[in-house]
Amino acid sequence: MIFGLILTVILLPFAGGMLLQVLKFKEKKYKQCYIFSYVLLNTLLTYVLLSQGTTNLIRVINFAGEKLDFSFKIDGMSMVFAGLVATLWPLATLYSFPYMEHEHNGRVHENIFYMFYTATYGVTLGIAMSGNLLTMYCFYELLTLVTVPLVMHTLTREAVHASRKYFYYSLGGAAFAFLGLIFLLVYGDSLAFTYGGVLNLSKVQNQKDLLLLIYVLAFLGFGVKAAVCPFNSWLPQAGVAPTPVTALLHAVAVVKSGAFAIMRLTFYGFGTRFLQGTWAQYLLLAIVIFTIFYGSSMAVKETHIKRRLAFSTISNLSYILFGVLIMTPLGLAGALCHMVFHGVMKICSFFCAGAFITQAHVNYVHELNGMAKRMPKVFAVFTVASLALMGVPGLCGFVSKWHLAKAAFASGNLLAVVGVGVLLISALLTAIYMLSIVIRAYFPGNAFDYGTLHEEICDPDWRMMLPFLLFVAAMVVFGVYSAPFVEFFAGVAGGLI
Amino acid sequence: MGVEDLALHNNYMIFVSIVLPILAGVLLLVTPDRVFKSRQMLINMTAVSFVVCALSPVLVILRQTGNTLLLFFLVDEIPVFFAVDHLGRIFAGIVLLVFLLAGFFSFVYMSHEKNEKRYYGFYLITFGVLLGLCFSGNLVTLYLFYEFMTLVSMPLVLHTGSKEAVMAGLKYLFYSFCGAYMALFGIYFLYQYAIAFDDVEYQLWSGGYETSRHMLSFVSGGSLDLKAVAESGNTAFCLIAVFMMIVGFGVKAGCFPFHAWLPAAHPVAPAPASAFLSGIIVKGGVLAIVRTVYYVVGAEFLRGTWVQAVWASLAVVTLLMGSSLAFKEKVLKKRLAYSTVSNLSYILLGLSMLNETAFTGSILHVVFHAVIKSALFLSAGALIFITGNTKVNDFMGLGKRMPVLFWCYTIVSLGLIGIPPTSGVVSKWYLAVGCLESGLTGLSWIGPAALLISALLTAGYLLPISVRAFLKETDYEAVRNDYKEPRPLMLAPVVILAAVTLVLGLYPTPLIQLIQSVIAAGLF
Repeated sequence: MIFGLILTVILLPFAGGMLLQVLKFKEKKYKQCYIFSYVLLNTLLTYVLLSQGTTNLIRVINFAGEKLDFSFKIDGMSMVFAGLVATLWPLATLYSFPYMEHEHNGRVHENIFYMFYTATYGVTLGIAMSGNLLTMYCFYELLTLVTVPLVMHTLTREAVHASRKYFYYSLGGAAFAFLGLIFLLVYGDSLAFTYGGVLNLSKVQNQKDLLLLIYVLAFLGFGVKAAVCPFNSWLPQAGVAPTPVTALLHAVAVVKSGAFAIMRLTFYGFGTRFLQGTWAQYLLLAIVIFTIFYGSSMAVKETHIKRRLAFSTISNLSYILFGVLIMTPLGLAGALCHMVFHGVMKICSFFCAGAFITQAHVNYVHELNGMAKRMPKVFAVFTVASLALMGVPGLCGFVSKWHLAKAAFASGNLLAVVGVGVLLISALLTAIYMLSIVIRAYFPGNAFDYGTLHEEICDPDWRMMLPFLLFVAAMVVFGVYSAPFVEFFAGVAGGLI
Repeated sequence: MGVEDLALHNNYMIFVSIVLPILAGVLLLVTPDRVFKSRQMLINMTAVSFVVCALSPVLVILRQTGNTLLLFFLVDEIPVFFAVDHLGRIFAGIVLLVFLLAGFFSFVYMSHEKNEKRYYGFYLITFGVLLGLCFSGNLVTLYLFYEFMTLVSMPLVLHTGSKEAVMAGLKYLFYSFCGAYMALFGIYFLYQYAIAFDDVEYQLWSGGYETSRHMLSFVSGGSLDLKAVAESGNTAFCLIAVFMMIVGFGVKAGCFPFHAWLPAAHPVAPAPASAFLSGIIVKGGVLAIVRTVYYVVGAEFLRGTWVQAVWASLAVVTLLMGSSLAFKEKVLKKRLAYSTVSNLSYILLGLSMLNETAFTGSILHVVFHAVIKSALFLSAGALIFITGNTKVNDFMGLGKRMPVLFWCYTIVSLGLIGIPPTSGVVSKWYLAVGCLESGLTGLSWIGPAALLISALLTAGYLLPISVRAFLKETDYEAVRNDYKEPRPLMLAPVVILAAVTLVLGLYPTPLIQLIQSVIAAGLF
C-alpha cells in the first residue's frame, strides 16, 4: 500500500502531463482546472503518504549483487523535503496560470511547459523518497533532463544558451557524484541510507585521504545544483526561464535537491564520524563560507531583479551547506530549518519579481521607483520577504540563522565561528540588496513623477495573491512559533525520525 | 514553576501599551487620504490617538508589582518577555514626554511638509517600538525591538524625499544594521553561557518566581555563567564578543568609528522628528548597552580589561570630536546633531567607568540630554518654520521679536553646557567624579578634562546664537516685522522642556534616588 502510494505520487504528475498533450479543452479555464486538480491531488496523496510515518527500506528491483538495488524509503529527511515540495507545488502552479498568460509565446508551448513542470514534481518527490544513493542518483539525473526544457522555454538565444550551460554543469556535477557512489559501493557495507554512514572503516584503513578526496569531489558534484562557488554561474543565467520555474525550481526544488543530496551523502553515506575534523571538512567549509559572501556581494552588484534574487539564492544555499558541514546534529537541524524557511522566503520574493514582470513589465531594479503606490499589496509582501531574508526577529529567517549560529558555536570549530561572522556580513548585504528595492519603491524621492507610471499597473489577481498571503502567513508563523518545527528537525537531524 | 504559572503574573497592559500605538500607526498608514476630509480632521484624529496611546504606558510605569509579561517562545529557551524595572521606567518616561511634546509641536510644523499622514503613522509606530525596547526583559526581545526601531524610524529620516534625505536614510539604515549584526554575533556567543532562570534564583521585582526556561534575561549584575566561560578557556573570546556588542549597539549612540550616519540622518528629518531621533532613539543604543553590560554580562567581568579601556577611549575621542565638529558646523541642525554625537559619548564614557557614581551620572545625562536636545531641535524647528533660514548666522537680532523662544533656547543651552542652576551641571558633576573614582590609569583624569574642554566648546557652539539674537550686532529695525513668536502649540513644548531642565537642575533628588534604587538592586 505504501509502495503503491509512493509510485503513484511519483508517476501521477508524469501521467497527468502526458494526458495533457492528448486532451482537448474547450477553454483555457478548463485546462487550468485540470492541471491544478492533478497537482493538488498529488499533494494530498503525498500528505497521506507522509502521515503514515516512516517506513523501512522498500526494495523494488535488484540489479547485480546484493548492494545495487532500486529502493525507496521514507524517513525524517524525506518527510521534510517531500513535505516542503508538496506544499509549494500547487501554490506555484496556481501562480503560473496568470503568469503564463503573459508569456509571449506561452500559447504555443504551454502544454509542453506544463508537462515538464509537473513531471519535475514527481522526480523531486522521487529524490526525497529514495532509499539509497543509486536510486537518488537516477532521479537526480532525471531531474536535470526534465528541467532543461523549462529553462529553454522562451527559446530565445539567451534561453537556449542558459539551458545548455545548465545541462552541462549538471551532467558534469552528476559525474563527480557518481564517483562518490562507486567508492561508497566499494568501501561501504551497503548503499542504503543509514544515519551515521555506511562506510566500513575496516575496509578504509590507509585509504582515508583518498576517500576524503572522493567525498570532496562528490560534494562539489552535488554542489553544482546547490550552486556552490565556483559552479554557480548557471543559476543566475537560468533566470531567463519563466518566473514560476525560477521561483519553484531554482529557489526550491532543483537547488535544494542538490543540498538534500549533500545531506544524504554526508550524514547517510560517508558519515560524520569519518569526516569530522578532517581537511575535507575545513576545505569545504572554507568554500561554502566564501560562497555565502560571494553570492551576497554579487547580489548587491546585480541590477536585474531576478538575477539578484538568484545570487541571493546562491548565498542562502550555502547557509544550508554551512549547517551540513558543521557535521553535528545541531548543524543539520539548522540546515533543515533554513532549507524549509528559505524555500518559503525565496519563492515568495521570486513571485513578487514575477508579479513585477507580468503587471508592469519591469525587469530591472531602477525601474521600480515609486511602484509601491501602484502595487501596494505586492510590495507589502515583498517587504515582509525582505525582512525575513535579512533575519529580522519575529520572521522565519531569524530562527534558522539562530540555529545555524548556535550549532556553529556549539561545535567549537573556529572556522564555523568565522562562518557565523560571514553569515552576519551576508545578512547586512541582504539588507542592502533587498531594502534598496523596497526603499526605491516606497520613497522614490521628491523629483519622481508618479505620472510616468502606467495607469493600468495594479496588483495581480487572486491566483497570484493567494500564494502570497499563504507565504506571508508562513513566514510569520515560522518566525514566532517555530518550536514544533524545530523539534521535528532536531529529531530528524539526530537520526531519531 | 512552569510557564503556565508565570501567566498569572502577566500584565497585559504592557502588551497593550506597545501594540496600541503600532496598530494606530498602521491604521493611519493604510487609511486612504480621501477619508480625511481636511487637514484639521487628520490632526484631530492623530492628536486623539497620541493621547490615548500615551495613557497605557503611564499605567504600566506606575504599576509597582507584577509588571512582567511572557508572550511566547521565539527560539529555544528564549521567550518574548517584558519586565518593567526602574531603569525601564526612566527610559519609558522620557520617551513618553518627548513623544507627546514633539508630537504636538509637529501639528504646526508639519503644515509645511507633504505626506503628513505617513509621518504621523511612522511616528506612532516608532513610539510603540521604543516602548517595547524600554520594557524588554531579555536580550533577544530587546534585539527584536532594536531592529524594528531602525526600520520604522527610517521613514522619518527620509520623509522630505530630497536626494540628500534618501541618501541619509540609506546611510542610517546600513550603519544601524551593521551595528545590529555585530551585536547579534555577541548575542549568539553569549547564549552558550547564559544561565537559565532557576540557576540564578531570580527574584523579580514582581515578587519573585523561578523558571528553568528563560535565558539571556536581564538580571541586575549579570545573568552569564562566568565560571563556565573561564573553564572553557574562552574568556578572551567572550571579551571580544562583548566588545562587539558595545560597539555594535554604540552605532545607534553615534559612537566613533560608526558616528558618520548621525550628523547626516538627524538634520534631514523634519524638526520634530529630529528631536525624537536625537533626543530619544539614540538612547535606544544606550539602553541596549546598559542592558548588555550591566544586566547580562555583569560589570565585574569587564572591570580592568582592555574592553573597558578601549570603550572609554573611544568615548573620549568621540566626545571631543563631536564637540569640535559642532563648533565648526554652520548649519544649525547639523550643529545640534554633532552635539548629540558628543553628548551621547558623555553617557558612554560614564557607563564605561563601571562604577556607581559614573553610572548615576550617565543615566542622569540620558534624561537631561533627552530633554535638552529635544528642546534645542524644537527651537531650531520653530526658527526654520518661521524664518526659513537654516544657518546659525541667520538669526541675528531675532531675540527681540521672539523673546520667549530665545530665552528657552538660552536656558537649555546653559543646561547642555552645564551651568547651574540648570540640569546639565548635576549629571556632569557625577560623570566627572565617577571618572576620577574609577582608578583607570590615565583615563580617570583625561575623562574629566575632556568633559571640561567639551563644555567650553559647547558654550562656544550654542551661546553665540543667543548672543547674536539678543545683543545688538545689527540694527533691530533690519529684522523683518512679520517674524514673531511661534504659535502657542509650537512654543508650549519648548517652554515645557526648558522648565523641566530648570526644575531637574534645581531639584534632581527624586531622579537620583530612582537611579540609586536601580543600582541598589545589585547592579555592581
